[in-house]
Amino acid sequence: MRKGIIYIALFSFFALVAFTSTEPLFNVPSGWQKPSYDFSKNILSQEKIDIGRALFYSPILSKDNTISCASCHLSFTGFAHTDHDLSHGIDGKIGKRNAPALMNLAWGKTFMWDGRINHLDMQALAPISDSNEMNENIAHVVEKLNQSNVFKNLFYTAYRDSLITGERTLKCITQFMLTLVSSNSKYDQVMRHEDTFSSQEKNGYLLFQKNCASCHTEPLFTNNQFANNGLQQDTVLLDNGRYAITHIASDSLTFKVPTLRNIEFTYPYMHDGRFKKLSQVLNHYTSIPQHASTLDSQLQKPIQLSANDKVDVISFLLTLTDKEFLYHPKFQYPKKLFSQSPNGL
Amino acid sequence: MNEQIKLPSESDSVVITTLKYYISGIQLLWQGKTVFRESNSHHLIHIEESKSLTIPLHTPKNIHFDTIEFCVGIDSISNVSGAFGGDLDPTLGMYWTWQSGYINFKLEGIHPKCNSRKNEFQFHIGGYQMPYYPLQEIKLSIPNKKQIDIYLQLEKLMANLDFKTQKSIMIPGKEAMDFSKRFTQMFRTQQ
Repeated sequence: MRKGIIYIALFSFFALVAFTSTEPLFNVPSGWQKPSYDFSKNILSQEKIDIGRALFYSPILSKDNTISCASCHLSFTGFAHTDHDLSHGIDGKIGKRNAPALMNLAWGKTFMWDGRINHLDMQALAPISDSNEMNENIAHVVEKLNQSNVFKNLFYTAYRDSLITGERTLKCITQFMLTLVSSNSKYDQVMRHEDTFSSQEKNGYLLFQKNCASCHTEPLFTNNQFANNGLQQDTVLLDNGRYAITHIASDSLTFKVPTLRNIEFTYPYMHDGRFKKLSQVLNHYTSIPQHASTLDSQLQKPIQLSANDKVDVISFLLTLTDKEFLYHPKFQYPKKLFSQSPNGL
Repeated sequence: MNEQIKLPSESDSVVITTLKYYISGIQLLWQGKTVFRESNSHHLIHIEESKSLTIPLHTPKNIHFDTIEFCVGIDSISNVSGAFGGDLDPTLGMYWTWQSGYINFKLEGIHPKCNSRKNEFQFHIGGYQMPYYPLQEIKLSIPNKKQIDIYLQLEKLMANLDFKTQKSIMIPGKEAMDFSKRFTQMFRTQQ
């Protein structure tokens, strides 16, 4: 009998060790470059990630407590706003650009389609303050959080004091953002020799490397730069892209090169969501009118792809779907954290 | 606050409704050599909060100095290094949200010559990217005393400002840069 008891104790010990060692809070996938984010200035903890997740899903960030980050960034679609070319925010107001997918942000250098945000910590301030999005201000958000028992408890657990500040609020949102790593698509598994491409996917991959990879660079599938990819300017939005931020002529009509990971679900595509289908995107790249003075140098010579080539490229792009990332419970609505009061309000 | 100020050069008076600005990088010098450099030196001066108008410096004892140096605004490194607390907390209304960056200096008020709504003017001066990096260094001779008194002369700042044409600066750029050059004239050590 005594032996039995000892065995059970050992088993639970092993289980605990296995659990904590296989679930690091953040992991650089093998072969990836060092993240741009300086983790030493914002040391990750599960408690702070939880706060960030609660903030991400709480409409407390908006003026009338109706809009959360998740209103436009849905976990199941790579945190993009599927089916919406331009997103709608508070009072049904429509924004100017397509809500970007959120993943692998630790490697991002600047944020938003025009790079107007220079650090991940500061990103949330923009949608919180934008009159078309949450129309709130961070000082008032912090005031509301300080009155919320749910958030006061969460901050107490994480910081051992329940004082909620702007810095802590933003850094917690960042912590959750940093955990959104997508690195287990079929493409990743092929790279790790755990799977193989079909012949169609393989041909698509070769065509991709030849024609697309100079901007959509592996393994992030973005070079984090800005480029004019030849889209005609929308005559209503009249969006000049990065030029509005830098006022440098060569930045006119340039936009951030987005990642292509999970592209199967992040439609519609482009900064104004003008394309619903990947075939439309490829058709654009093979028929760019050579009109724009700031057209990216890589696109000066038109890309040539046959109809079959395009099908192959798309079959490769579909290998960038990472189901583990899209359906992971740790990225979804935090029912447990909000068990006391819905949305932490 | 709604302080009325009479400008010597103008017949009308100006009403100031907001005045907030950053002082950073405070140093004390003796015969041209730095003898004290404050660490994490960022102070938000908010005219309506008397506590913010006194800055305690934790210097070594019996230090000798004849000059103080500081900047008006926030340096570019701090501008690109994420969220900070204390006087740099983004809840304090001195951080832009539509584009990253601190507002170095915020002056708002009413001038009868402003042909804007309610005759209001707003100057939000900031930016951290060259060539429009309006961080201004101030250097003042001071007596070697326990308390250093520095006076801000708003009338110098606003002297020759044409409120008819210039009533609003809200973004980084050349206008903000030009405006910031006025900061170097607005401090003095005697009343």
